[in-house]
Amino acid sequence: MDRNYIYLTILMLVLAIGTLLVNNEPKLKQIEPQQLLLEMVQPTRYVTTDQIAKMIIHGDPSLELVDVRSADEFEQFALPRSVNIPLDSLINSSSLGYFGIPGTKVVFVSNDDIAADQAWVLTKRLGFKGTYVMRGGLNCWMETIINPQEPSEGSPNTAYETYAFRKGAQQYFTGAKAEVAEGSKVKVEVQRRKKTSAVAGGC
Amino acid sequence: MNKELATNKEPKYINPYLGGVLLGLLVLITVLITGRGLGASGAIKSTVVATAHVFSPEQVKSNAYMGKFISDDHSPMYTWLVFETIGIFLGGLLSGVVFGRVKKFRTDHSPRITSRTRLIFALIGGMLFGIGSQFGRGCTSGAALSGTATFALGGVVVMFAIFGTGYAVAYFFRKLWI
Amino acid sequence: MCPLIPNGIISSGWDFVIAIILGMAFGFILEASGFSSARNIVGVFYGYNFVVLRVFFTALIVAMVGLLYFDYFGWLDLSKIFILPTYLTPMIIGGVVMGVGFIMGGFCPGTSFTAVAIGKIDGIVFTIGLYFGIFIFSEAFPLFGDFYTSGDLGNVTITDATGIPASWVAMGFTVVALAAFWGTMFVEKRVRKNMTEYKF
Repeated sequence: MDRNYIYLTILMLVLAIGTLLVNNEPKLKQIEPQQLLLEMVQPTRYVTTDQIAKMIIHGDPSLELVDVRSADEFEQFALPRSVNIPLDSLINSSSLGYFGIPGTKVVFVSNDDIAADQAWVLTKRLGFKGTYVMRGGLNCWMETIINPQEPSEGSPNTAYETYAFRKGAQQYFTGAKAEVAEGSKVKVEVQRRKKTSAVAGGC
Repeated sequence: MNKELATNKEPKYINPYLGGVLLGLLVLITVLITGRGLGASGAIKSTVVATAHVFSPEQVKSNAYMGKFISDDHSPMYTWLVFETIGIFLGGLLSGVVFGRVKKFRTDHSPRITSRTRLIFALIGGMLFGIGSQFGRGCTSGAALSGTATFALGGVVVMFAIFGTGYAVAYFFRKLWI
Repeated sequence: MCPLIPNGIISSGWDFVIAIILGMAFGFILEASGFSSARNIVGVFYGYNFVVLRVFFTALIVAMVGLLYFDYFGWLDLSKIFILPTYLTPMIIGGVVMGVGFIMGGFCPGTSFTAVAIGKIDGIVFTIGLYFGIFIFSEAFPLFGDFYTSGDLGNVTITDATGIPASWVAMGFTVVALAAFWGTMFVEKRVRKNMTEYKF
């Protein structure tokens, strides 16, 4: 009888010590692969350059531009108000604080939309909501906003409206850029998510 | 101690550690299924609210505490804990039948006190437990056991308060039990 | 995956059927462990019967360690389970009142129901006492309504409050419980030698 109790005591201790070994690292929350696939095949994550331009011009505070190119490229040219998080340091704990803030839209920007898409998949996999990709990347930005092409004759009215907007945006960005270059560099105010505990209450 | 008497009348209880493991697994299963633990005092609270509601509905609605548990679409008895408590009763009865402990009504008490003393103290103890369980947001099963098992701070607080006080005052009530 | 009902895997229509089944298992275990007798329960405070300590702490460590493993394997979403809210001072006072009630009445609510089931009059009286206690509490509630909600810390876990990881908490409880099981075995043997009127 006593020997059985000794075995049981040891078993219980081993089980408890086991929890120390397995639960030491706080796990990152992940979503199911099926769910991820479902979101990947939907184009809803894409935001056009026009929409981004509009949001920057209106000073939309919910917009959070994240540039995933290397730091060198970011130095050469970057969108106003954007933050540089190179793709290879995306899942640092310090970078993750930018994502998943309720009410903000994180938009990934790269030269094309491939690197931005990769960043988007990573954040989705980690279960963050509210992340998007700028369609076409900075190449598309150059084509549409910085050097907009006048629509050919016979194009529908909307094409002319878009063109008019892009012309205006072009002035805004090229002009605004010159001002920034002259003036002192303004530190970008960035919202960070507060660290939340793993277990929140309620059911 | 009379050995023969002890073995003859020894109640057939299961091994306490077996009981503990089963109870632990039950708490685990309950959390897995319902997302919350077991409880007991909540059912009495529902009964209080329900009976008071029958006698004076207006007073219950205006009562700051009971009014919280009144809703128009169902009776206050229609809660998870009430059904669980019916289950506790049935389970206790089943175990009593299986192990042959369901007998005629009786009171167990220390030979040094009368049944009447035992019943008076049981009534006072029950009242204190009822009052305390409302402040503690649960009793030994709801707060101390299920609360602590789900790592809630409140559960640990209640558990230590109950057992700590129990040991602190045990000396004064020793006549009741030994 | 789990918890099943909050995640909608079992529809909430089954709630009450499940409640009765789980309750029956609860009642059966309590009665079968000897909790239908107040003298067995209170023995834990006088050192002649530690069945409460054994059952309670075994259940506690099994459930704690089990929850951690279920969380680790991803079968249970710990963030979706109900965490008892903490109201520090009312809970301490409530626990103290319950502790006195425990010694005087010899039951706690769950065990008194099983005592009623096998025909113990003291269990019935205790349950009636519970009813009146809660009734008195409700009627007198306006007197201490503010106190009732004081010290509100929200639905905090031990980890939130102290920073100790859950697995260390479980480990601590396990070590203390196992040490207590071995220690009380010897205490019980010594105390029982001096008792003659109690049938074990």
